[in-house]
Amino acid sequence: MASRSLRLAGFLFRRSFASMLGLTLVTLIVALALLGPWIVPYPDDVAGATNLAGKLQPPSAAHWFGTDEVGNDILTRVIIGARLSLLVGLGITLAAAAIGVPLGILAGTAGGRLREAIMRVTDLFLSVPGLVLAIALVAALGPGIANAMLALVLVWWPGYVRLAESKALSIREEPFIEAARVAGAGRLRILWRHVLPNSISPLIVKMSMDIGQAILAVASLGFLGLGAKPPTPEWGAMISIARGYLPDWWWYAICPGAFIYASVLGFNLLGDGLRDILDPRSNRG
Amino acid sequence: MITYLLRRAGLAALMLFGLICLTFIIANVAPSDPAALAAGPDAGRSQIEQARREYGLDRPLHEQFLRYVTDLTRGDFGRSVANGRPVGQDLARYFPATLELCLLAMALGVLAGVPLGMLSAVFKDRWIDHATRILAVSGIALPPFWFGLLLQLGFATALGWLPTSGRLSVFTEPAAPITGLLLVDSLLRGNGALFTEALSYIILPAIVLSLPCLASILRVNRSEMVEALRADYITAARANGVLRRRLIAVHALKNAMLPTLAIIGLRWGWMMSSTVLVETVFDWPGIGLYAVSSAISGDFKPVMGVTLIVGLNFMIANLVVDLLYGTLDPRLRDA
Amino acid sequence: MSHTSRRAVLLGAGALAALPASGWSFERDGNRKVLVFAGNQGVPVLDPHVRYDWSTRMIQQSVYDGLLKYVGAPPRIIPWLAERYEESADGLTYTFHLVGNAKFHNGDPLDAEAVRFSFERGLKLNAGIAWMLKDFLKPENIVAVDPRTVRFTLDRPFAPFISYVPWWYIVNPKQVAANTVDGDNGRRWLTENAAGSGPFKLRRFDGNTLIHLDTVPDYWKGWPMGEANRLSGVIYRLLREAAPRRAALQRREIDFGTNFSPDDLEQMARLPGVAIENHAGFTTFGIKFNCQQGPTADINLRKAIAHAFDYESLITIHNGGARLMDSPFPTGMAGHVSVPDMPRKDLEKARVFLARSRVPNGDIELEYVHVQGLEDARRIGLALLDSLRALNIRVNIVGQPWTTMVARGSKPDTAPNMTSVYVTPVGTDPDTVAYQYHRDSWGLYYGMSHYENPEVWAMIAEARGMVDQTRRMAIYAEVQRRIVADQPELFGMIANRTWARRDYVKDFEFSPIRFTGEVDLYPLWIQG
Repeated sequence: MASRSLRLAGFLFRRSFASMLGLTLVTLIVALALLGPWIVPYPDDVAGATNLAGKLQPPSAAHWFGTDEVGNDILTRVIIGARLSLLVGLGITLAAAAIGVPLGILAGTAGGRLREAIMRVTDLFLSVPGLVLAIALVAALGPGIANAMLALVLVWWPGYVRLAESKALSIREEPFIEAARVAGAGRLRILWRHVLPNSISPLIVKMSMDIGQAILAVASLGFLGLGAKPPTPEWGAMISIARGYLPDWWWYAICPGAFIYASVLGFNLLGDGLRDILDPRSNRG
Repeated sequence: MITYLLRRAGLAALMLFGLICLTFIIANVAPSDPAALAAGPDAGRSQIEQARREYGLDRPLHEQFLRYVTDLTRGDFGRSVANGRPVGQDLARYFPATLELCLLAMALGVLAGVPLGMLSAVFKDRWIDHATRILAVSGIALPPFWFGLLLQLGFATALGWLPTSGRLSVFTEPAAPITGLLLVDSLLRGNGALFTEALSYIILPAIVLSLPCLASILRVNRSEMVEALRADYITAARANGVLRRRLIAVHALKNAMLPTLAIIGLRWGWMMSSTVLVETVFDWPGIGLYAVSSAISGDFKPVMGVTLIVGLNFMIANLVVDLLYGTLDPRLRDA
Repeated sequence: MSHTSRRAVLLGAGALAALPASGWSFERDGNRKVLVFAGNQGVPVLDPHVRYDWSTRMIQQSVYDGLLKYVGAPPRIIPWLAERYEESADGLTYTFHLVGNAKFHNGDPLDAEAVRFSFERGLKLNAGIAWMLKDFLKPENIVAVDPRTVRFTLDRPFAPFISYVPWWYIVNPKQVAANTVDGDNGRRWLTENAAGSGPFKLRRFDGNTLIHLDTVPDYWKGWPMGEANRLSGVIYRLLREAAPRRAALQRREIDFGTNFSPDDLEQMARLPGVAIENHAGFTTFGIKFNCQQGPTADINLRKAIAHAFDYESLITIHNGGARLMDSPFPTGMAGHVSVPDMPRKDLEKARVFLARSRVPNGDIELEYVHVQGLEDARRIGLALLDSLRALNIRVNIVGQPWTTMVARGSKPDTAPNMTSVYVTPVGTDPDTVAYQYHRDSWGLYYGMSHYENPEVWAMIAEARGMVDQTRRMAIYAEVQRRIVADQPELFGMIANRTWARRDYVKDFEFSPIRFTGEVDLYPLWIQG
């Protein structure tokens, strides 16, 4: 039974061009992130070596995507940047889920005052303009990748509370939970055995999409000058600097942007595809 | 209905207060000295201290907070330390630009999203469907700042068809605002040249800003249309040809209206937030650019003001969506 | 809206845009021309007694007049509202004699009382320019002797006095009084309005977007280019990003622009019809060490860093448009001497100093703080990081908002190990720079190094009150040598001041005393 549905899922996935594209892009980005330091042509360029004599060179055989304003190889920096972006995207999503999911399940199963309190705080954060808040926070704490992540986790977790709570609520009324309760199973056990597994599919879908969005959000902060510190190769920060070299040195801005686009697109398409398989009923909006 | 409305409004007020607390906390965790900004670069110690007193920055934090909240109830957002001007005044000056941009972007999102969604459903699983799907996801995946730069490179620098940035040419002195929205004002005054000019400046940022919203609307309309087409197999016998197609389209549109409205509501607040990036790229003189430039120079009162305004927009939009659902769909009212 | 905009032409048809730039002509207002100047910085507060920075002062200098004015390179002080002045032998009393024909834009005569009122206002508001004079001049010691004579009596001799006077602009007391609300001395009103007598008057003011100035046809001082060539006015346009600014100059939407990167300037120099202004500047760039706390309190480490740094990178980053500092004072400042043995890159020496320091093997991390968004300072940070790898010293490059940087620098225990600081001296008197190394400057942005040397402090304090200029300059020569020996900062470079303009803009006059980017708009006109 399990293997049959798995095969069906595989079939469905392959049939969708978009999902395959997503999977391919994600695989590529992950591969680059894993292999980065071994395959880049100028590994020293991310550690802060400067070569001012060779600055702002156009794309060539030696530098496929040209060099930046201190003579570093753009391709190298973009590839190493993949690792950072991926880690940051994963980190934000996992942290947000780790905060949001337990709170959501708690709210959904406990009910009463506790639920009210949790959900009101969640609503407060959901009604806050995420990016603006993150900008304010990073500006206050000072720029840096850790602060950017902190700010984004702060605006990201409420989504998971909502999701987990609604799942927990809907499952609470299902007959098999009633049965378990009647059979004398403890609350924790019910949570662990029944509620969590039933929430896993939409959770995976949401997380897959959120990794992409988190990558984009960090890049956005980087673009505004609130992300990683130099010489850390961060895509958004690179575009921010490259912007000052438009239009003559246009290639400088193109490359990191294309990588952001590809990875966010990849994770979103992947999430989309996963949703079609794991959670077909919720294919809305 | 009245009690529901009151309850919702009360909740919104509570959340607004929460938001005020939140922004105040954020503004004060900064290890910065706003008085130094107020006093200017070469100021000596005595000038810095005087600026500190002048802005009430020497008062204890709880006192500053109380004063901020009291001032807010009078519509006073405090003063910017960078220029000493009341933040409320600047917000009033910049908000119309942001509003205009968001309204146009929303309109573009709807105008493109609805037909594309239908098209995608009609050609389900064909290449058009795949293409629109990737387009839809791209709407969310394209970094707005990067896409904006690309459009500038293409349409402004390379082709020279459109201006790079700003809201109007420097040589145009717009008359006193009626609504503050240049497109509307120029039409009201019957000034076609000004309308074209304003349009040429706003179109690129509006396109960039509209994409995520377009994506959501496209998806909703696609799935509603798919549903309608599926239901159509059952009723296929009743009508045929052009008439049938029209029926399906009308039916799907009607079904899609509510979720489309909901998305407009949800995306509205979101758009106000992400306009920050678009405004930065296009030098659009709105509240987003105001917030970023203030945040970067360490001037927090404007940032707090913008956060509150955007948060208010979020809440109002959510409220309107809820009420619409309430009116259009009575079942949801009690849920 | 009387003038047609070239933008309208541009909009008319996309095809037109493909035409060469010479297809358009400059902006006109009636039969006179309008010069458009673009910069990256707004003018939040126009009040001349409250705020100054380059963009602000450019507009202030245009709508207001001072008693004296700085012009030329090297900078000279010439008579302006005051046709002459006398200084008493004890250096305490200065008497200014005003020209007879100066009047404010609203027609009120500019008399001694207006001068007295303006200096008093500047001192009382205790903001902006106040620091220059407030320790030496009390408001009650400014006297309007007669309508054309003002006398200043200082508390004690202050040699730099005259060098600061040009920055004290004269406002119209009547207009200020008429617009005073709640005893604010006209502060609120003057933020966005002007009450001056200068060659230009405000037509439209939005400090965050655009400022439109009109020339005053019957300016009391007259117009150097002659009535026929006088402009209609000047538009200052705020364009935050370099790329649009550049495109605008290329397309003749602007006639004059500043804040271009060295790389951009190199490209623009090749464009037909574009002229580049490139002049030796006055703004020093240094990396201030924290001399009180942390590893950099150790002079040997400071010397090691100063000898490890690749000074050539400063020149390369500016594509050649910079000179290395040869003294704490900028070249061109009175009393400047070229100090021998300025540290230059010498890894041998650097290692010797490092070995003598408390961290002979390096293996430390130092923080380098720059103002967020300053691209050159960031790149210099990268060059520093690369240089110090040779000493096994890591560098943490941090961009912080100005407010945070200043707050941190206010105390030795929070001041960063290294802070990059640009300083533009506001006057030509050596005291302006020397005093930054005095104990009184500790904690201010140029005093972030918390430099300690009581002997040097005493010399600085003595020199600012001396009347005998020869002896005074001898002291400053010694001060410069001592400071270099103590290495409170890594003495960097003085970058060139650059602008790009259309070649039909005539009579640009450079003066290094102005701030980076600031231009004297008065003599400019457009030919053709």
